[in-house]
Amino acid sequence: MQPPAVLPSSIVVPDIILRISSYLWYYCQNAVNAIPGSHFVVDYVKRSHQHDPYRTIVEVFLIIYGIVYFLRKPRKQGFQDGPKLSNKEVEALLDEWQPEPLANDASKVEWRTQKIAVVQSSTSSSHVDVVRDDGKERFTSVLNCSSYNFLQLSAEPSVAKVAKDTVRRYGVGACGPAGFYGNQDVHTHLEYDLARFFGTENAVLYGQDFCIAASVIPAFTKRGDVIVADNRCSVAIQNALQLSRSTVYYFEHNDMEALEELLQQLQERELKDSLPVLPRKFIVTEGLFHNLGDIPPLPKLVELKHRYKYRLLVDETFSLGVLGSTGRGITEYFNMPRKESVDITVGSLATALGSSGGFALGDNVMSLHQRIGSHAYTFSASLPSFAVTTASEVLKLLEKDRTTVERLHIISQKLHNFFVGDKELKSYIDILSDKDSSVLHLTLKEDIRNEFFGYTEDSLFDEMSAMHNKYLSEKYVENYEVEEKFLQQIVDIALVEFGVLISRNTFVLKHETLPITPGLKICCGAKMNDQELSLVCESVKTAILKTLKV
Amino acid sequence: MSSIANLKVPLVEFPEQSVEDKKANEFGPLTSKEYLYEMKSRNGEPLQELILDTPPYYVVVITYLNYLILLILGHIHDFLGLTFQKDRHQDIMEKDGLAPWFSKFESFYVRRLKLRIDDCFSRPTAGVPGRFISCIDRIAHNLNSFYTYPGTSTMCLNLSSYNYLGFAQSEGLCTSSALDSIDKYGVCAGGPRTQLGTSELHISTEKLVAEFVGKEDAMVFSQGYGSNANFFNSILDPKCLVISDELNHTSIRTGVRLSGATVKAFKHNNMEVLEKLIKDQIVNGQPKTHRPWKKILICVEGLFSMEGTMCNLPKLVELKKKYKCYLYVDEAHSIGAIGPNGRGVCDYFGISPSNLDIMMGTFTKSFGAAGGYIAADKSIIDRLRCDLTTTNYGESVPAAVLAQTCTSLRIITGELNPGEGLERLQRIAFNSRYLRLALKRLGFIVYGIADSPVVPMLLYAPSKMPAFSRMMLQRKIAVVVVAYPATPLIESRVRFCVSAALTKEDIDYLLRHVNEVGEKLFLKVSSGKTARWDIEDVIKHTPVDCKDDRFFAN
Repeated sequence: MQPPAVLPSSIVVPDIILRISSYLWYYCQNAVNAIPGSHFVVDYVKRSHQHDPYRTIVEVFLIIYGIVYFLRKPRKQGFQDGPKLSNKEVEALLDEWQPEPLANDASKVEWRTQKIAVVQSSTSSSHVDVVRDDGKERFTSVLNCSSYNFLQLSAEPSVAKVAKDTVRRYGVGACGPAGFYGNQDVHTHLEYDLARFFGTENAVLYGQDFCIAASVIPAFTKRGDVIVADNRCSVAIQNALQLSRSTVYYFEHNDMEALEELLQQLQERELKDSLPVLPRKFIVTEGLFHNLGDIPPLPKLVELKHRYKYRLLVDETFSLGVLGSTGRGITEYFNMPRKESVDITVGSLATALGSSGGFALGDNVMSLHQRIGSHAYTFSASLPSFAVTTASEVLKLLEKDRTTVERLHIISQKLHNFFVGDKELKSYIDILSDKDSSVLHLTLKEDIRNEFFGYTEDSLFDEMSAMHNKYLSEKYVENYEVEEKFLQQIVDIALVEFGVLISRNTFVLKHETLPITPGLKICCGAKMNDQELSLVCESVKTAILKTLKV
Repeated sequence: MSSIANLKVPLVEFPEQSVEDKKANEFGPLTSKEYLYEMKSRNGEPLQELILDTPPYYVVVITYLNYLILLILGHIHDFLGLTFQKDRHQDIMEKDGLAPWFSKFESFYVRRLKLRIDDCFSRPTAGVPGRFISCIDRIAHNLNSFYTYPGTSTMCLNLSSYNYLGFAQSEGLCTSSALDSIDKYGVCAGGPRTQLGTSELHISTEKLVAEFVGKEDAMVFSQGYGSNANFFNSILDPKCLVISDELNHTSIRTGVRLSGATVKAFKHNNMEVLEKLIKDQIVNGQPKTHRPWKKILICVEGLFSMEGTMCNLPKLVELKKKYKCYLYVDEAHSIGAIGPNGRGVCDYFGISPSNLDIMMGTFTKSFGAAGGYIAADKSIIDRLRCDLTTTNYGESVPAAVLAQTCTSLRIITGELNPGEGLERLQRIAFNSRYLRLALKRLGFIVYGIADSPVVPMLLYAPSKMPAFSRMMLQRKIAVVVVAYPATPLIESRVRFCVSAALTKEDIDYLLRHVNEVGEKLFLKVSSGKTARWDIEDVIKHTPVDCKDDRFFAN
């Protein structure tokens, strides 16, 4: 067989190589021809080579590159080839690494735990027995101004009876998440009751109030969505915003002009960017602020929300059962229909309604998606059934008679009026909360704070932000701690000398990413009588003055 | 025959029944001493790697094909719907300048796949979720878009609730202590723990829990999800690393995400990959800056609720000590249900709890209550009491739940009603082993370890899920079916949650029906290294055989 005439005869090639390659070539051709339809490919290659020989070269090169690329070991993305470490060096590094302790030393903050009042009786009644500091301090029948159970309806015998009947029928736990046989008939009925009472299409029950916002908001938001939030929101909402993956903007607390300006700016930016998909946009605020006790101007918020096409989420943990003439929350307070004004309402069963757990109110579509996408709902066991029937019963009582809510309003207003109107206290303290808030928030005046403790709200926030940006494990501000201890002294005097149990507004600096105001809280209960009320006023006043003059 | 009224779930009237019947319906009486098994401690011996049975190739192909058909039909449905039936698809379209709650793409899986089998989920129930569960009957209309309720309910054998030790009861010690606590402490707790939310009962429960799990101190919370979701941000920050099992529960993931810590996942239970990862991370440190990590926390679950597998604790403790990492174990499903004394994974492996840094668990499952706990050394808990968001801002646990928890704990330890706790522990151990071995012998593919009370049985094709669930409901058995995204795409499964409340005869009933349905649906696809057994032989021999570990080896 003649060797193929591809090389000029002047180049000497060993005969054996020519022979092997020509045989290989021959068998390859045979093999290719044996494949049915292969002549099309061969013809095509021949023709393309005739038209443009360079193309063949490029293509052969591409094929080789493809094979090399395919066979090469995959390199991890973002992995940088540092200098190779020897085994000994690796061992040394492993040996050298020392972790920080899992939790910081508790000694500096431990006084807080010692000051926690441990209850020995029902917290729903006006008087409670408490002990502190591992039973070293005992107080019997002190006036209860610390309970969040403002309406005190769950202390009614009829409610306790319902709870006990439920335990006798359903046991305690529901033993499963809602999706897997954990939702009982009573759960669904409480959802109907809540939706009807607050005037929305649907309600979704949750096992714990603190988790709700942090579960509902991330269920609907993704990267690129926009959230505009009040800059004094509670930690529950701060957590939610952190989990939301969205772009978050803050507006000055309850400042509607600032909000409008911000919304206007965002709208202009959106028009300029001409996004391919319309982002979801939310305004997030609270019905009655957890940290301050004041009320946002809902009518203006609703107007802005409609004008700029936002959805409104209101965390009504402290306002449901409190605001409005029948306790239907902030919408009733401003005489607005809930359905049209607020898109998502987050509420708690553990505050005024005197049970446990929480819920989110809204329309049917939103609720349906919550039942699938909201983690605290789908991945958590249902509420115990007795908590559910208790809440249903309290709602029934609220619907039947409005005197409890009215009574609560009178008490909160009287308390508010006393502290706002008191001339002696005027130069020392500020009242932050609204007159209708059932939690009265007292704080030291800014100049007093500066004089006594050498810091202001702004400087505290700056210090906190600086620590936050450095990711310090221990976030401790000495001056703030001194004020906290000072406030605790006021609480102690009220408790020890007058038998009135009020509380500090507890913050955890580690988790607060927004400005905070240290202060005291006095919680009202609907069952408080006038005598008790004046005792509270006088004792807190005396305690404050006494502590300040020391 | 549908009127507006019965579009709502009815409140179920409770049937008149004697106290004995009620008790037996909630917790089946033990039929023979033969049907008890004492779980053995492993005395520090690590687990062998589980060999998972794989189905024949045609099953995999059919499963993918099944999804393909569903996806294609779904997209055609969407196209036609969005073109011709705009009014019925309002919720995924822009309206009045507002973006839809969920976009068409995000909700595709839910609208076009899950909705078809929605009748298998969220079945409303009533009464105690004990040995039997009363399911409220409902009729699905228009491809599950709405239901009507005829007002009746059906008692079903309960293989769905996490009632491992059978403490979901409305008679007995737990119930009476819960009732007493309502009298004394009221129905609700007064606020966060730092503000009137702490009662004596909280303190004593915490002591009891700490003692039970073998740690110095503990904290209790009102929700299991919440205990995890709001825990990590108090001990971790963005300069810390979390090494997490890929199958960890969402609550852990949410919690870690909230803390901002970097997360690296490792393949489920693969200790070699874990060791390599830890070494790599300590040597290389934080990404970009290469500064060393502040802390490294290994997060695992004691018993994985979808797989029935357990963490390899002896190996984890060894690694943790070697590389100075911290170890966090979520015992949501294992506490109470696992170990010779019901004290969870440490008890099971015979390892001292002092080797674990943080132990978390829930009271929802084995104890028939609600909420969760976190146990650790006293110095850590002391600090966490001041730092955690839940204790400072969230609600506290109501007294009745604590009373239920306390009493059930005391029964398990034998402090109350000696013997009862032990019987419950031995019954769940027997029931789990019996059901698991019997299913294996019948030819089903079952995941997990021998002693796990969670018995996942593989169904594969998504269309077999509703078929299985509905057929079981017809036979008055309540089961849970799970699919993607809770499991890998092709591994749809049914999850039997075994309970101490079930009798051996209940499991026989279950087995006969699973066998029959399994034949009809071609579910017996195990690789068949051992010959498939006849159902009568299984029921005859398995109760004895299941006490021997030899038969569980693949």
